Amino acid sequence: VSVLLFQAKSCICHMCGAHLNRLHSCLYCVFFGCFTKKHIHEHAKTKRHNLAIDLLYGGIYCFMCQDYIYDKDMEQIAKEEQRKAWKIQAFTPTVVSHYQCTMTGIGEKYSTWEPTKRELELLRHNPKRRKITTNCTIGLRGLINLGNTCFMNCIVQALTHTPLLRDFFLSDRHKCEMQSPSSCLVCEMSTLFQEFYSGHRSPHIPYRLLHLVWTHARHLAGYEQQDAHEFLIAALDVLHRHCKGDDNGKKANNPNHCNCIIDQIFTGGLQSDVTCQVCHGVSTTIDPFWDISLDLPGSSTPFWPLSPGSDGSVVNGESHVSGTTTLTDCLRRFTRPEHLGSSAKIKCSGCHSYQESTKQLTMKKLPIVACFHLKRFEHSAKLRRKITTYVSFPLELDMTPFMASSKESRMNGQYQQPTDSLNNDNKYSLFAVVNHQGTLESGHYTSFIRQHKDQWFKCDDAIITKASIKDVLDSEGYLLFYHKQFLEYE
Amino acid sequence: IPKMNKDAQMRATINQKLIETGERERLKELLRAKLIECGWKDQLKAHCKDVIKEKGLEHVTVDDLVAEITPKGRALVPDSVKKELLQRIRTFLAQHASL
Repeated sequence: VSVLLFQAKSCICHMCGAHLNRLHSCLYCVFFGCFTKKHIHEHAKTKRHNLAIDLLYGGIYCFMCQDYIYDKDMEQIAKEEQRKAWKIQAFTPTVVSHYQCTMTGIGEKYSTWEPTKRELELLRHNPKRRKITTNCTIGLRGLINLGNTCFMNCIVQALTHTPLLRDFFLSDRHKCEMQSPSSCLVCEMSTLFQEFYSGHRSPHIPYRLLHLVWTHARHLAGYEQQDAHEFLIAALDVLHRHCKGDDNGKKANNPNHCNCIIDQIFTGGLQSDVTCQVCHGVSTTIDPFWDISLDLPGSSTPFWPLSPGSDGSVVNGESHVSGTTTLTDCLRRFTRPEHLGSSAKIKCSGCHSYQESTKQLTMKKLPIVACFHLKRFEHSAKLRRKITTYVSFPLELDMTPFMASSKESRMNGQYQQPTDSLNNDNKYSLFAVVNHQGTLESGHYTSFIRQHKDQWFKCDDAIITKASIKDVLDSEGYLLFYHKQFLEYE
Repeated sequence: IPKMNKDAQMRATINQKLIETGERERLKELLRAKLIECGWKDQLKAHCKDVIKEKGLEHVTVDDLVAEITPKGRALVPDSVKKELLQRIRTFLAQHASL
């Protein structure tokens, strides 16, 4: 604070006391003067001090040349001093902006990219450039169906259009740690991204990917139709393992502490609170998740009512029109307090005996990409069938009501704030939808993916066609991929 | 420092308070983000390029650019941004009523 006080009191023009007007400092003596009012010019003339520095941007002005000059040595000094000043500033609370890190003292100030010698060499040797315009279709490519592999193709389409994943692979961030790089699924993903963004319009044949998946996820091998959701989880699991060079499938990495790109993007934390009905003690656990599986109306477990005494309040701009189930309804049901019943008593550490309890799930930590799995395939002992109930889902989703923190505020009697624009952390945008047509026995997967801001495309194996937002939102929906709208530094 | 009139004195005092509390930096950051968001920065950058092309790279000085783009820059700031910044400053002044 004392530094700021000093700055406040001393950074003013020595002639008129103003702090605005492009203050400059003489480089020969201690004098600050306005540029706009020509006070520094007067000083330069009378004292013959011909160099001054702009206090805001650090430019050096020469009164003889009557312009700012650019000297290599001065620039070097300026850069170094800025870097040092930044390190000090980083320890004081500063506003989080796109260009700064929060007060941790680590990280560097944002500076524009300058190519290294090696990069210049590479750029010269590879002169082909690709310009991305709003209408270009780069990143879109069909995938040949290798025999009921549409379940894999859809997931590949969703992954190749996950912005953070795309950025990670296209900037070559993967360093292979596997014993044999030819069996690394992450390397294969990297190649896949290169193929998708190569500009080639012919469909890609993902035979290597299929082979690697069969090798590392044996339960998915074979030419029969598999479940796209199962494939997604298996693929994320193998990618997560291979990021750390794990070839053997030992679950050595704790997803809570892993820092691989898969965990950074997909891993969230699910909080489970078990409340003893006798002593009201709460036992809390937090488990990592890559996706949220939601029950649907029409399954053998009853869907309605969502929770005892629930209100029909408007959430996410959707009101409960009787008949149409919404994604929000499913999420409300997912996070409702559930009475576990007398046959499922939990040992309470407060009462030291088995008691009846309620269990409630809430989101502790949201992933950057949230994948919702609508449980359309019922495999109970009684029957195997597909639930085709239409569930409406929004383009924009606010997860605030389902957060553990929101639940805590409600329980503490705090007034639940209406979603205001300041709380951006829980806002999501839809970017991919995987759909299943047909029955449990024979069916076909297709997907919708989002390109640029508002353009959607339907991916049906090798055929890519333009789709309208209405097409997407009217579709049945099996896997829904949402991306956080605003990203903050950790 | 020569005598300043009451207005200038007030401005200087407010400015000092803004700097001391770190509010000035926060306001600058907010303004910077808003001006980029609404495309103001890009518009002015394009205008600069036009001026340089017109005058010729060898003949244009920073002062020329400042003279050319300052009025345009001031005019192009959206009202909503002005309102928001003013509101922030008003709130700040209300909190530091001892001024």
